[in-house]
Amino acid sequence: MEAAHAVTFAALGSHLLVGLSRAMILFIVSSGLSFVLGVLRVPNVAHGSLYMIGAFSAYTVFTAVGGQTGFWLALVLAPLVVAAVSFVAERSLFCRLYEREHLMLLLFTFALMLILDDLVKIIWGADYRSIMAPDYFKGSVNIFGSSFPKYNLFLLAAGPVVAVGLWLFTNRTKIGKIARAAAVDREMVGAVGINVSWVFAFAFVLGCFLAGLGGALVAPTVSITLGMDHDIIIEAFLIVTIGGLGNMWGAMVGSLIFGITQSFGVLLWPQFAIVFPYAAVVIVLLARPTGLLKSVW
Amino acid sequence: MSGKKQNLSGIAGLVCVTVGGILLLGLLFCPIQAIARDIKVGIIDCYSGPPAVYAKDALNGFKLALKDINKKGVLGKKIVFTTRDTKFKVDIALNMAKELVMREDVDILVGTINSGASLGVSEAVAKKEKVPFIVWIAKSERITGEKGHRYVFSTGENTAMAGKAGGVALSKKPYKRYWIAGDDYEYGHAIGNAAWRNLKKLKPDVEVIGKSWWKPGEPDLIPYLTSIMAAKPDAVIFCTGGRSMTNVMKAIKATGMAKKVPIWIHTATDHAVLKPLGKEAPEGVMGTMDYHFYYPDIPSNRAFVKAFKAAYGNPPGFPAFHGYITAKFIAKAFEKAGKINKEKFIDAMEGLKIEGPTGTVEMRACDHQAVLPMFLGVTKYSPKYGVVISSNIVTLTGDEVMPSCQEIMKARHK
Repeated sequence: MEAAHAVTFAALGSHLLVGLSRAMILFIVSSGLSFVLGVLRVPNVAHGSLYMIGAFSAYTVFTAVGGQTGFWLALVLAPLVVAAVSFVAERSLFCRLYEREHLMLLLFTFALMLILDDLVKIIWGADYRSIMAPDYFKGSVNIFGSSFPKYNLFLLAAGPVVAVGLWLFTNRTKIGKIARAAAVDREMVGAVGINVSWVFAFAFVLGCFLAGLGGALVAPTVSITLGMDHDIIIEAFLIVTIGGLGNMWGAMVGSLIFGITQSFGVLLWPQFAIVFPYAAVVIVLLARPTGLLKSVW
Repeated sequence: MSGKKQNLSGIAGLVCVTVGGILLLGLLFCPIQAIARDIKVGIIDCYSGPPAVYAKDALNGFKLALKDINKKGVLGKKIVFTTRDTKFKVDIALNMAKELVMREDVDILVGTINSGASLGVSEAVAKKEKVPFIVWIAKSERITGEKGHRYVFSTGENTAMAGKAGGVALSKKPYKRYWIAGDDYEYGHAIGNAAWRNLKKLKPDVEVIGKSWWKPGEPDLIPYLTSIMAAKPDAVIFCTGGRSMTNVMKAIKATGMAKKVPIWIHTATDHAVLKPLGKEAPEGVMGTMDYHFYYPDIPSNRAFVKAFKAAYGNPPGFPAFHGYITAKFIAKAFEKAGKINKEKFIDAMEGLKIEGPTGTVEMRACDHQAVLPMFLGVTKYSPKYGVVISSNIVTLTGDEVMPSCQEIMKARHK
C-alpha cells in the first residue's frame, strides 16, 4: 500500500506534462469519435480499429521509406489510408443505415470492428511492430529535474494544432458549418437543399481521419499490435461521454481529465493507478449525467 | 395391384436388410479403425490478438519436429494434431479442451500461452478426464508447482526458475533499494514474487521502496517510469511480458532510464521483443531467457535454426524451442510406452530424456517440469544481426534455478 515517498512540486509538474501529452493522443482519437457521434449519430465501435489501421499503415510507410522522411510521410499518409478505408465503408455500407435505430448501428459497427481486426491480422500478421521517431525526437530532456521524452513534447504541440485546425474547420469553412448544422438538425439542413448524405460521408471520413492520425502519432511510443484498438476505444467512449456527446471541446476536456488523473494516479498511488481515471469518470457522470459540456444528442 | 405391393414390400425389406448390414459392418469395423488411427494431439492456444505471435512460433516449432518424426513414424503411426483458438480466454480454453477430449478423442492436450487458461485446463480437463496436458509457453510456476498433478507437464521455463535466476543475478550486485513494477495479472505478480523471494533469501538486507502495477498492454508507461526515477531506487525489477514488454522497452529508451538505473526484466532479451525495436531497443537491460537462436552456438542449435528459418522464414523464438522439444517428448514417450495408452504415456514421460537443439532435456519425474537452463544476459546492439541481442551470457543450469522436489511436494500438500 506504500505510496510514492516524495510528492514534490517537481514531480507534480513533470507528471502534469506527461498526463497532458497522453491527453493529446486521447483528444485526437476521441474528437474524431465525437464528431461522428455528433453529426451522424453513429456510435462507431470500429473507431479503435481505424486507429489501429492508422498505426499499422504508419509502420508500412515508415519501413518502405525509412528515416525521418519516412516518419513524416507516415504521419501524412497513414491517416489518408484510414480516410480511404472509411470512405469506402461509408459509401458502401453506412449510408444505407442512417435511418435505422441506434442498436442496429451499434451492432453494425461492432461487426465492422471484428472484420477490420481480422483484415489487419491477414495483411500485417500477428508480429509486434515498431517505428522510430526522427533523431531529433529521440531521447529525453530534463524538465523539473526528471527526464521527459522529446517525442512527448512533440505530442504536446501536435494536440493543440489539431484542436485549432478542427475549430477553424468547423467554424470558418462552409462545409464545417453545414456539418455542425447537420449535427443539430439534419432535417433542416436537408430542407434547405443540401445533400445531407454527402455531408455525412464527409463528416465520417474526417472523424476516421483523426483516428488514423492518432494511430500514426502514437506509433513511435508503443508496440503496434493487434488488440491496441480495444484499449483506446473504451477510453475514447468514456471521454466522449464525460465531455458531452458530439461536443468537440467536451472531447478535449474529457481527454485532459482522463490523461491527467491517470498520470497523477501513478504518482500518488502507483499500485492502483489504473483506478483513477475511471473513478474520475464515475464522479463526473454522477455530478453531470449528460457530460460536462453541452451534448448535441 | 397386390403383386406390385408385394414387390414394393420386398424391395423395402431388401433395403432394410442392406442398411442394417452396413450398419452392423460399420459397428464391427469401428473399433478396428479406432485402434489403427494416428496419435492425435489437441492444441489449444491463442491464435488471435497480441499473444498470437508466440503461439504461432510454438506451433511452428512443433510442426518442424513432427516433419522428422512422421518420416519414420511412432509405433508405426503418425502424430497428427488439430488446433483450437482460445482467444486468450480461460472459458474458451476450457470449452475447446473439453471438445478436443470428448469429440476429437485426442490422446494428448498441448497449450497454451495463458497461465490462467493452462491452470484451468490442467485442473478441470486434464486431471478430471485423465488426459495428459503439456503446457508449453505459460510461465506460472503453479502449473507444475502447487497445482501440479499426474496429468500435467511443462516443457517451458516458469516464474520460479526465472525468479531464481533473477534473484541469483541481482544478489551479486550492490543494489539495496528496489522498485518493483509490472503488469497487473497472474504472470506479472508471479514473476515479481519469485524474483523478490529469491533475492531476499540470498541477500536479506534488500528492501522494496515502492511498487507500481499497470494494466497489461498499458500504452503509456512514461508516467510510471518518471515516478520510479523520481524515487531514485538502486535498481528496478520490471515484471512484464508480451506486448507490454515492447512498451516498457520503448519507454525505457525514451526516458533514458537504462542509463540511470540498473534494470532486470525476465525475457527482456527475447528476440520477439527486441527485433521489432531494431536499434530503438535500450542497451544495458539485464534479462533472462531459456532459449536463444544464437546461443549456445553449437552444431545442434545451428541445425535447428537453419531448418526453422528455411521452413518459416525467421529464426525460432523460445516458444518454437518449447514446441520442438514437446513434439520430441511426445514421440519418444510413446515409443518407450510401446503402445498408445495415456497412463503408460505418463509413466514413460517421467524422467524421460530427449536430445534438443541446446542439449539433453530431462522431464523431471517428481513434478513433470522440463529441466531447462536459464541464460542471463545484458541487452547490447549486435552489428552481426542488426538488432539488440543478449550479451555476456551467463548460464545457470536447470538444477541451480529449479525448486527442489521436496519444495514442490511441500507446496502441493500445503
